Amino acid sequence: MRGRRAASLALLAAATVWAASSAAGAPTGYSADPHQSRLEFVGVQAGAEFKGVFHKFTADIQFAPEALASSHFDVQIELNSVDTMDKDRDTTIRGADIFDVAHFPTAHYVTRSFAKTATGYTAVGALTLRGVTKDVPIDFQFTQAGTGARLEGSAKLKRLDFGAGQGDWKSTSEVADAVKVNFVLALKPNN
Amino acid sequence: MPIRTSSGRYTAVAQTLHWLIAALIVTQFALAISADDLPIGAHKLALLARHKSFGMTVLMLAVLRLLWRLRNPPPELPAGMTQVERVLARISHAAFYVLLLAMPLTGWLMSSAKNYSVSWFGLFTWPNLIAKNEAAFDVLRSTHHILGDVLFVIAVLHILAALKHHFWNRDDVLLRMLPFVKLDRAKSEDRS
Repeated sequence: MRGRRAASLALLAAATVWAASSAAGAPTGYSADPHQSRLEFVGVQAGAEFKGVFHKFTADIQFAPEALASSHFDVQIELNSVDTMDKDRDTTIRGADIFDVAHFPTAHYVTRSFAKTATGYTAVGALTLRGVTKDVPIDFQFTQAGTGARLEGSAKLKRLDFGAGQGDWKSTSEVADAVKVNFVLALKPNN
Repeated sequence: MPIRTSSGRYTAVAQTLHWLIAALIVTQFALAISADDLPIGAHKLALLARHKSFGMTVLMLAVLRLLWRLRNPPPELPAGMTQVERVLARISHAAFYVLLLAMPLTGWLMSSAKNYSVSWFGLFTWPNLIAKNEAAFDVLRSTHHILGDVLFVIAVLHILAALKHHFWNRDDVLLRMLPFVKLDRAKSEDRS
């Protein structure tokens, strides 16, 4: 009898917490499905664009359109998983003069604030790359899809802000400073 | 009285294209040889970017030159040439046209196979002709190098032949590819 009472109290408490948080618009927790998500960057090399992807990254996405204040993205990128469809270029990018994966194996992106825009949302967050942390805003669209969601957006950054280009690679005449980042994340709800 | 079979000089357009392409080819060899010695890095990338831009320029000029030649046949070969010399001249000139197209095309294919798209002086990017393929890249690179060697040999023979015509045969074969000189050297008359 006591056990059942305790259980129902706990259930009631849980329901209250759920109702309260739901009323306050708590974000839903998602993580990106690695097989259906894509994190891509576009650089300019010798005047021509090239694309690369990161095969390994994790995205912890806490988001709800009605709870922007408490929404939060936390993305960890394994820089060694960079793939520009050329092994020479990948080796160069992993090397000491660019990503220096031996010393800085991951890049980290954490959001600080969100705002609604005409076409979707924008977030301000801090990107840490090569031990340098700088703000990088992202623009994205968020679409509910069943129990999950789809997050699609882009960002622009300057590689030299993070020191991703030492020695000869500091020159922007052969590799442009500006790098575009595109992402499509297939989000699955956390349970 | 000997008949001058040479019907004058090359047109101004053909001359311009000839010397422009010649200058570009010399530059291409210089860039390729300098880049070959460098390790992978920004400097090599810079030289190869220029090599690709110039190479695509050669491709465009070679197409123009061929189109021009189809509508404006070059002057006749000098009367004094033997049948063997005529055949050799035809073969080497045909080989030049093939190489002027094949060199840039194999280079373009090479860049495509490596997934390094070809920009034209940063103004626009040529589409990749084939998908990324490391094995194809290796074959194309060897082909590009071999064709480069062949081009070098033919260019040397071409220059030697032009000088031989000028100083030995004393005809106007060299002069008719030059502007501002008079074609009054029909010296084959003297020799015959």
